[in-house]
Amino acid sequence: MTPLIFIFQLLIAVPVAIVLALTSVWYIWESGNTVLYASFAQKMFSGIENYGLLAIPLFMLTGELMNEGGMTRRLINAARVFVGGFRGGLAYINLLANMFMAAIIGSATAQIAVMSRAMVPEMEKEGYDKGFAAATTAAGGLLAPVIPPSMMFVIYGVLAQIPIGDMFLAGILPGLLLSVAFAGVIALVGFRKGFPKGRWYNSPEAVSALLQCLPAMLIPIAIIGGVLFGIATPTESAAVASLIAFVIGWLVYGEFKPGALFGIFKRTAVNASMIVFMIAAANVFGWVIIYEALPQKLAALITSVTSDPFLFLLIVNVILLVVGMLIDGIAAIILITPILLPIAMTNYDISPYQFGVVMSLNLVLGLLTPPVGVGLYIASTMSGVSPGGILRALWPFLIAVGLVLILLSRFAWLSTALIG
Amino acid sequence: KDFRLGLITPPPHIWTKAAEAFGAELKEKSGGAHSVTVFPAQQLGNEAEMLQQLQTGALDMAFMTVAEVSNRAPDLGAFYAPFLASDISHAGRILRTDTAKGLLDQLPAKAGVVGTGYGMAGLRQIVARGKIDSAADLAGKKIRITPFTPNLDFYNALGAAPTPMPLPDVYDALANGQVDAIDMDAELIWVLKYYENADTVLQSDHMMFPMVGLVSAKVWAGLSEEDRAMIGEMMARHVDGTIDSYVAKEQPWLDEIRGVAKTYKVVDASFFADAVAKWNTIWEAKAPATLEALRKAAQDTAQ
Amino acid sequence: MLGRISAFWARIEITLAALLAAGVTLLILLNVVTRNIGAALFWVDELAIYAMVWMTFLGASAALHYGHTVAITIMTDRLPAAVQHVIARLVDAIVLGFALAMLWFCWLWFAPAALIGNGFDVEAFQGATFNFIYAEPTATLGVKKAWVWLAMPVFALGATLHALANMLGRSPLPQEAAE
Ligand code: NA
Ligand code: NA
Repeated sequence: MTPLIFIFQLLIAVPVAIVLALTSVWYIWESGNTVLYASFAQKMFSGIENYGLLAIPLFMLTGELMNEGGMTRRLINAARVFVGGFRGGLAYINLLANMFMAAIIGSATAQIAVMSRAMVPEMEKEGYDKGFAAATTAAGGLLAPVIPPSMMFVIYGVLAQIPIGDMFLAGILPGLLLSVAFAGVIALVGFRKGFPKGRWYNSPEAVSALLQCLPAMLIPIAIIGGVLFGIATPTESAAVASLIAFVIGWLVYGEFKPGALFGIFKRTAVNASMIVFMIAAANVFGWVIIYEALPQKLAALITSVTSDPFLFLLIVNVILLVVGMLIDGIAAIILITPILLPIAMTNYDISPYQFGVVMSLNLVLGLLTPPVGVGLYIASTMSGVSPGGILRALWPFLIAVGLVLILLSRFAWLSTALIG
Repeated sequence: KDFRLGLITPPPHIWTKAAEAFGAELKEKSGGAHSVTVFPAQQLGNEAEMLQQLQTGALDMAFMTVAEVSNRAPDLGAFYAPFLASDISHAGRILRTDTAKGLLDQLPAKAGVVGTGYGMAGLRQIVARGKIDSAADLAGKKIRITPFTPNLDFYNALGAAPTPMPLPDVYDALANGQVDAIDMDAELIWVLKYYENADTVLQSDHMMFPMVGLVSAKVWAGLSEEDRAMIGEMMARHVDGTIDSYVAKEQPWLDEIRGVAKTYKVVDASFFADAVAKWNTIWEAKAPATLEALRKAAQDTAQ
Repeated sequence: MLGRISAFWARIEITLAALLAAGVTLLILLNVVTRNIGAALFWVDELAIYAMVWMTFLGASAALHYGHTVAITIMTDRLPAAVQHVIARLVDAIVLGFALAMLWFCWLWFAPAALIGNGFDVEAFQGATFNFIYAEPTATLGVKKAWVWLAMPVFALGATLHALANMLGRSPLPQEAAE
């Protein structure tokens, strides 16, 4: 009965957090263990009493401040210096700028929104097919949650009880692998269709673009350097990045008014509370199903099918692909981690880092697949290309992600090599 | 009845093994009438949450640090008098006195739980980034602690900034400088490799770290006389067994750490200057009778 | 009337949540600064976490008023308007059910009747109920945890208010309006 209640609520569009909470309430009732009700509210509170989760409002704040402060445009101009003159230069600029941005922004949808507005008109002006321009930008957005920092990794790390700094390290190689795969797709498409040729900046232009970008580069340096060199925790580095973004946007670029600050904090509070509240509900859900030893029962079912970790991960990938088509990535990771992670770790001895990377990449892929593809719709709205038009140019990128997922499932070291 | 038993330690830990052994024996001796499902590694929540679940009866049993219980029954904090025990086996002897056992009588009224008996983890040591030549070097530093009042009082007396932090975050926090030092036992310093990011390991043995086997008072009230006697005796025996494990293993762990630590120092009460005296003054006001009784028990069991 | 109270309360919730978001940022920055000058403050982490938790529950309650929630609309989007309208009312009723359940759980947990019945004597309350909520300390702030936990009843009350207003305030079915 409980799974039916769960699916029925999801289908009639009850808010996901409330679906999780009410399903837990129902399950407690059905199992007769109603003494848990007295702990229910406390468990919901304590599920988010977590230092790592502070990173979520802080990453959102950084993203907001960068958009308002004019940093994005300058990062793109700097990317032009390095690859602008190649045939298809602007497509590679798009990818490179997306890698830069991914080192700052922790969320794919935020990055797709920012970059679509900045990149698609530029590429169209230079003669690229608009659908291809939007598809490249949307695919580039998938780097955001894989290259650190990553909101998805923060949430996963909290649910899996592993250090978030290590989870960030686990994303670096897969992020680079994904970038290479995308560059390969761009090269192949260019080979078949022919891209317009860009032009190299002359020296004064290049120097000016690099100088303009220097202050903005402080932000990825603050985030990555802060964590790697032990000056700040991942959480603290997000706060430092916000401060830098604020000061540069206000005093250096002069594009940002301190008066806008309250509005920004309001948007941050609204968006962050939405996500963190879902995590609170998911924690109650996880607690209830652990009380009833449910993961153990499901594990018995799955382990009767296969005992091979690679095969298990492939099965999980297929399940996640379907889930990701229907449910937004972060909601999905919150729903699924408590159920599948214990099975992966206990029954298949899979590293929680590898599992987190595979799961996160698979679920962000869902952002670009219909019927529920938030990233696809954002790219469509921001670029004015229909979702169908984007999809026609997007599928080679989706296949590339699929291949990367298989590699990540097969070779654990791609995720774990950089972790001490 | 199938009892749920929760603890914070991971599956291979001595406490978890003891919990599983207790479950196995209970199943056998009750002829299958009772069994125990062990939930390790904070699966049901941290100790504060588990204590609350014991109180409502949602959770039946737990092996829990006395630190957490002392948040509800403050005079148990006297166990943490700095340098009360001179070494690990002395700590074990103190926990086996009638004085110590008598302190469990207050738990049903004060915390809604029945304490069956004591177990233990290793003595507390300090692992620090940077050189620590005197207690003054700890002043102003951020030190990770298990949050409970006696420990807070000790590090406040040293002028440090005691920072509570859950165990999974500690390795990173020490590695990247979020904290300057940690308060930890030899087992975890060795097993979780905290020495890797430290310049100094202080073998201070400054506090003992007792554990207690608990049964929900609500659940206890619903058990028959025979079941209470059987479960109480059996749980007490299994938690007590952890004392022998730590007495046997403490020195080998310390020797391993000494072999790999950059700087390894053995220090005593005098190293901490007047911090110990300050702690004593605070607690002679907070729990005078218990502190005196435990000091007497320590004297009687000294060798 | 209920709609106006709901809107007013949502504005207060959002304003407080924004201030708490700013507070979280400042506290974390304070942490970085004080640690790097060797004057670390031990209570900052815990306070920042509580600020985030309060921000979350205030924001989550206000989201019910503004309709800022993540939901899966893949199926409902394809239905005729009249059916969508009926389903929206069903969802309102389910959300209200959730809010009332939270209110009840908070009642069980804070046990206000028993607390008053025992004349606010916490020891007597604990003896009578085995409920130790009012004894729990915070780790570093020196106040009782119950004050921090008040976020939950505040959330439950706010959610109940907004859900009730949504349910009573929705316009009638389109065809009814046309008649
Ligand atoms: Na990123
Ligand atoms: Na999708």
